[in-house]
Amino acid sequence: METIEYMGKTFSVDEDGFIDDFNNWCPEWEQWVKTVEGIEEINDEHRKLVTVLRDYYEKNGIAPMVRILSKVTGFKLKHIYELYPSGPGKGACKMAGLPKPTGCV
Amino acid sequence: MAFISSGYNPKKPMENRITDIGPRKYDEFYPPVIAKNKGKWLYHEILEPGILVHVGESGDKVYTIRVGGCRFMSVTHLREINEIADKYCDGYLRFTTRNNIEFMTDKEENVKPMKEDLLSRKFAGGSYKFPIGGTGAGVTNIVHTQGWIHCHTPATDASGTVKATMDVLFDQFTDMKLPAKLRVSMACCLNMCGAVHCSDIAILGYHRKPPMIDHEYIDKMCEIPLAIAACPTAAIKPTKIEIEGKELKTVSVKEEKCMFCGNCYTMCPSMPLADDVGDGIVLMAGGKISNRRDAPKFSKVVVAFIPNEQPRWPTMTATIKRMIEAYSKDANKYERLGQWAERIGWERFFEKCELEFTHHLIDDFRDPAYYTWRQTTNFKF
Repeated sequence: METIEYMGKTFSVDEDGFIDDFNNWCPEWEQWVKTVEGIEEINDEHRKLVTVLRDYYEKNGIAPMVRILSKVTGFKLKHIYELYPSGPGKGACKMAGLPKPTGCV
Repeated sequence: MAFISSGYNPKKPMENRITDIGPRKYDEFYPPVIAKNKGKWLYHEILEPGILVHVGESGDKVYTIRVGGCRFMSVTHLREINEIADKYCDGYLRFTTRNNIEFMTDKEENVKPMKEDLLSRKFAGGSYKFPIGGTGAGVTNIVHTQGWIHCHTPATDASGTVKATMDVLFDQFTDMKLPAKLRVSMACCLNMCGAVHCSDIAILGYHRKPPMIDHEYIDKMCEIPLAIAACPTAAIKPTKIEIEGKELKTVSVKEEKCMFCGNCYTMCPSMPLADDVGDGIVLMAGGKISNRRDAPKFSKVVVAFIPNEQPRWPTMTATIKRMIEAYSKDANKYERLGQWAERIGWERFFEKCELEFTHHLIDDFRDPAYYTWRQTTNFKF
């Protein structure tokens, strides 16, 4: 595993840049992901997605389906892509510190 | 090589970004004779194995030479294909749904020199670059998957098994002497990417051992409920384990319920199950997708296990050859392999193909298994 040092913190990441452990997430991680995911500035809408994802994962042990994410946040998929150009999986889940999406992706 | 920019600016990834333009429209690449006669074809003939002629209402003719493709090919090879198309077909060519290559021309005088040219081209190792065939009642290209070249869930290799099989069946590719066409497909795990579930003969990668569980990492890398829900036999359940004094969330696999499908590994990287001696090949037979004479059929498992014998898989290719020879000798004209097996009865199929019938072949998956058993006294000794 590769380690990244950013803003005084050290993170272990896999080859796709996902964090090694949900519990190692911290606000500095958000700032680091911002630099690699083509996000200019983290605003309240970005934070809302991250909060929803982290709450859902903590409660259910899985990332929400895209439709659940849309319904809970009130953001249409198009808007989620505007916030996170790489999309809800590669962008938002990465910033929220969730495990990498699996399956035939 | 040093970095050479394409003009993309990583600082501003969304600037000048072009999206949702889709593929190029197919008719941009029509040869003129195809564009002119589109929707107005009268009939076609197979002149010889691999060579077709289509005749339009206007009297226009288009000759098609079909050549085998290895599907996994280099840019050098594609450039050579282009060079041939430039030389004989005004730069036009197409690929078929079974990954063969078709060169089309309206000039009859081009057919013979093109054929000679194609057959004269060989790789340094001696194999044909562009073998002509794949038409009519023969064996055409094998639809296959990624295997050990690129995928992370395979139980066998794709390109290797396919090359070994096509070498054995090469005579059927360049000839049209079978009772009907015979489709061979290959998938390297039971995700069955491609056409194995509906082919006359199918090669399928298969595991025989349950997954190993990486307890230390599973909760960090996986969404555990997804791994549990991925199991078709409900062999996985959540549990807790103590490692170095710390209680960790993990799963347990009930091994007597596991049938080694590998779905849990697809969902969860901490449950790998590939194994060098455990893994191997299942052969299936009798599927088809056309509606000709009777409805489409699924292929059925006829050989429960053949070990991986890379690089040439001799047991597997010999078994396939034996099935095709028995079918070729015994089936009626126009009869697909599955239609033949159902007409003579599967007990005769096993006898004629000299295949061993084992308990593995008897369906035991949920209620529908019952319908595959024989509820009649109609059978042959």
